[in-house]
Amino acid sequence: MRFSENGFYIERYIKCGTCGVLIYESEGQPVLTHDGVTYCSQWCIDWKIAREKRRADLERPANLI
Amino acid sequence: MDLVTVNILESTMVSICREMGIVLMRTAYSTIFSEALDFTCGLANMNGDLMAVADYCPSQIGGMPLLVKSCLREIPATDIEEGDIILHNDPYRGGLHTPEHTFFKPIFVDRELIGFAVAIGHIQEVGGMVPGGFCGEATEVFHEGIRVPPVKIKKRGEDNVEVWKLLLANVRTPRINYGDLRALIAAVDLGESRTAQVIKKYGKVVFRETIHDLLDYSERRMRAELEAIPDGVYGFKDFIESDGVEEERTYAIEVEVHKSGGDIIIDYAGSSPQAKGPINATLGVATSAAYNAVLHMTDPSIPRNSGCFRPIRVLAPPGTIVNVDYPGPEVGGNTETHPRIVGTIIGAMANAVRDRTMAAEGGTHSNLVFGGVDAETGDFFICYDIAGVGWGGRAFADGNDAVDSINGNCRPTPIEVFETRFPWRVEYLAFDPDSGGAGRFRGGVGYTKQMICLNDEVICSQMTDRHVFAPWGLHGGRQGSLGATLVLKAGTQKWQTMREAYGKKSTSRYSNVRIKKGDRLRLVSPGGGGYGDPRERQRELIVSDIRQGYVSLAAAEREYGYKETSDEVL
Repeated sequence: MRFSENGFYIERYIKCGTCGVLIYESEGQPVLTHDGVTYCSQWCIDWKIAREKRRADLERPANLI
Repeated sequence: MDLVTVNILESTMVSICREMGIVLMRTAYSTIFSEALDFTCGLANMNGDLMAVADYCPSQIGGMPLLVKSCLREIPATDIEEGDIILHNDPYRGGLHTPEHTFFKPIFVDRELIGFAVAIGHIQEVGGMVPGGFCGEATEVFHEGIRVPPVKIKKRGEDNVEVWKLLLANVRTPRINYGDLRALIAAVDLGESRTAQVIKKYGKVVFRETIHDLLDYSERRMRAELEAIPDGVYGFKDFIESDGVEEERTYAIEVEVHKSGGDIIIDYAGSSPQAKGPINATLGVATSAAYNAVLHMTDPSIPRNSGCFRPIRVLAPPGTIVNVDYPGPEVGGNTETHPRIVGTIIGAMANAVRDRTMAAEGGTHSNLVFGGVDAETGDFFICYDIAGVGWGGRAFADGNDAVDSINGNCRPTPIEVFETRFPWRVEYLAFDPDSGGAGRFRGGVGYTKQMICLNDEVICSQMTDRHVFAPWGLHGGRQGSLGATLVLKAGTQKWQTMREAYGKKSTSRYSNVRIKKGDRLRLVSPGGGGYGDPRERQRELIVSDIRQGYVSLAAAEREYGYKETSDEVL
């Protein structure tokens, strides 16, 4: 979440690309990026990579796994 | 841990929450509170963790911690004073949908902030495009009514008049809204004073230690339940039929449940991108739905607080139907998409937890909203009317008949109250035989309500579902029946859908239909899916169903292979 300088309104909603939680810049929350997407933690990046691999493996013919 | 004190304090706090709800019910002006009980009351600690909650509306129970924590990020505890009351409904900051207004009041003891009394209630009129808040054709949040960031509606015990004026200038029924908002304030006032008394009785140190132990105890109980479920990755996908805006388009809810030891991860990746129409869920809804589903599959005696939510991790990718991005519309996400998410998670776990899962339920609250100017009084009236559905059959029992959807726990308004308050006459209200899916344990039945308009004009909108995709059966059970909304215009002979009669994109989601005096509306609610092979159903249950009118003789013969014998009097 990026608030305006005076705090009256929100300029941008920033969410984690995996878990979807709001990331508050003002609180100094870690903002990580991976492939141009914002994440709240390394766990969320790792999960996204593992999920993509798992799903790709499922789609691949069995003899290629 | 002193388990006796933990038990006494937990029970005391739950009683306080129930009493808060009773105050709310008795003092509110609108039927959505006084009859339907569409609210939840709870107590949170300084960190926003839920300490106790009453069993009112489950969709709000899981949402409460996120709501309180979101507020505390913008109004830090250091800025909160005794007598303040904070209001918040923003769906993009932890909220559930725009009508859901959250009030919380700090609990101070000897000038020290200990926690919060919290009440969430569905305010039936929030401005926006349609009377009653459920705009079935909204394409942005601004169509759905006023959005309130965390603000103090009371400061040090005094009304913040500017906030009141701003709120009440943006709704169609300011007098009724004022009464309902005051009822929510009365609830948190009571919760605050009762809890402060309890804290004084036990002392702050014992209270804090006991709450810490209570949350840990709930967590341990939940982990023990989860450990009994076989580890694995379980997947399921279900569909929502329409968003009210794009014709003939469907939306997937996809879930992967990763169960490992005492932890469970609910991953919604693969769900459809967010819809143009108002069926999107917020993060609060996606989180609450995951909690709701897990609570349905675990021991109901586990104390409901943030401790039992700790083992549950929710992954809701932004910009999808389960985590809408600003300024996407979202009002139907909390009522229609929430139960569908719960059903999808339960569907994923159906083989892992066979004895604690059920077939699909009706999964809609009907959500007929209407308003207009009363021809007799000249007053603007508004109603949010909820209908019951059939629940899914279970491993040990039939589905419940004609009760509110799984995330609501609300009550349909009694006909006598409905007709007294609003210009309709209800001509027919009855269970629909054969609407529950056949099964060893059949689905609960839905019902039909037919009513005639008595006012010159009533403006109707609706956000319902299950007109296209019937509730699925489980383990050989049959699907439940579809719902429907039909209109018979005065002087005509043909019942029509909203699409046929008014050119709407969807039969189940529409806005601002002008029903005239003498027009009739017929609302058909869906039945639940059946559980298990119908041929395994006990004969005495089939006979009982026929006798009581839940199942017709023809359906009993067709679905259950029933053959009447001379010793059975139907």
